[in-house]
Amino acid sequence: MEKRRASLRQSAAALIAGALCAAGAGACELPAGTRIESASYALSFRTQPARIAPGEHFALEYAVCPKAGAAPPGTVSADAWMPEHRHGMNYRASVVALGGGRFRAEGLLLHMPGQWEIVFQAGSERLAHRLRVE
Amino acid sequence: MIARAAIAVLALASAGAAAQVLDFSADEVRAVLRHGPWPPAFVPDPSNRVSGQSEAIELGERLFFEPRLSREGRFSCASCHVPGLAFQDGRAQGLGRTELDRNTPSLLNVRLNRWFGWDGAGDSLWAQSVRPITDRREMDSSASQVAALLREDPEYACRYRRLFGEPRDAPDQAMLVAAAKSLAAFQETLLSGRSAFDEFRDALGRGDRLAAARYPIPAQRGLRLFLGRGACTACHLGAAFTNGEFHDIGIPFFLREGGVDPGRHGGIRQLQASPLNLLARQSDDRTGAAAIKTRHVALEHRNFGEFKVPGLRNVALTAPYMHNGRIATLAQVVRHYSELDLDRLHADGEAILKPLRLSREESADLVAFLESLSERASASPRRRPIAPCRG
Repeated sequence: MEKRRASLRQSAAALIAGALCAAGAGACELPAGTRIESASYALSFRTQPARIAPGEHFALEYAVCPKAGAAPPGTVSADAWMPEHRHGMNYRASVVALGGGRFRAEGLLLHMPGQWEIVFQAGSERLAHRLRVE
Repeated sequence: MIARAAIAVLALASAGAAAQVLDFSADEVRAVLRHGPWPPAFVPDPSNRVSGQSEAIELGERLFFEPRLSREGRFSCASCHVPGLAFQDGRAQGLGRTELDRNTPSLLNVRLNRWFGWDGAGDSLWAQSVRPITDRREMDSSASQVAALLREDPEYACRYRRLFGEPRDAPDQAMLVAAAKSLAAFQETLLSGRSAFDEFRDALGRGDRLAAARYPIPAQRGLRLFLGRGACTACHLGAAFTNGEFHDIGIPFFLREGGVDPGRHGGIRQLQASPLNLLARQSDDRTGAAAIKTRHVALEHRNFGEFKVPGLRNVALTAPYMHNGRIATLAQVVRHYSELDLDRLHADGEAILKPLRLSREESADLVAFLESLSERASASPRRRPIAPCRG
């Protein structure tokens, strides 16, 4: 009887461990940062430096997770757009894939104060976040 | 939101009836403060290893006034960048060996630029300093001529040796770049002095309404227009009153000979082809940080006909205006923006400008504000005798 109980405990533990492993393999955790979503993706990003000043170069660090059923995007580009003025940046960001769905974009510069959109392009999906620069 | 009378004025009892300060909102005060402090702290140029060095500044000053840098010995940098004219020439378009296509920009505050020249073809002050020396229409000189001067003139040879090493051993091109880096070190010292606006800004910042009230009311009204309805700070921002970038403001870019001035579009193409840009080996910045702008600048169709946003400090001293000197007075500049012809702007360009439709009084106020950005006394170092080089 005791043998049977021990066997059941082992089986249960194995099942739980298996389930955890499966979840771990499929899980995609986003690091802390500003979070935005599209139909297929969730993305979080941080700026470097944390506060963006007009006329100063900055970088973006971001990570992307595909939602259930969506394939991971190949690469995710980053850009910025000023909707009110209908113009983007005068600079084209360079993006480096860091692995595991993480990316770093450099060379961004917002040349005017006002409201901007930070725009990420993941496959055919656009993820945007509005922010004000003063 | 706080309702406010359009031009409510607070009289300062202690300062008498004439001393007044408009009721600037907290947002407006914050916006005013962003146009300073002045003067800004000196930050050496990492791409120029002699930036900020006194010996390089002295060599650069000598070279700035040196006509032997030009092919025929007739022009120095100071021929067009005249110290008594805020380091510009007062002409609509520059005059070298022939008349040029663009207005000669003032060199005051030049070190605060991100890009150099009306089209931003230079990404460093030293690279930009090479351009007029070798341009056939300007000084029409060459690396070999500049190198010969630095080798053969004992004073220059001594100064070069102390800064860069033995001139006999150096290649001509390296000596031209070294001369340009010294010229840049001198130009970095050219700053405009404090203005009536700076006194007002600092007084607002410390809550000294008595001192703030010395700033004339028309200038205060003009400042409010500049920050508010005029939306001038979209491009003329920060302590230098410029975002350092390029825009199309409806100034025609046709040249006399029938061609067109491509502006920023041509500037980026020149920059990318230049052997002296910050991505090349002549840059002394080994971190690569100084070249981030050069590495990432984007060439777009809309850049055609865009020109650099000039800083506005000392603007009353630097007429005529615009990239081709087409507008003679500040009042006419204000009228240009007031009556802007939208048909002259790129159809596919940015949607920033619209006619301001200013009244006569508003136009005069805006001019009063712009005039208040002039220095009260020069902050640039006065020319002084430089002791002969020893060593």
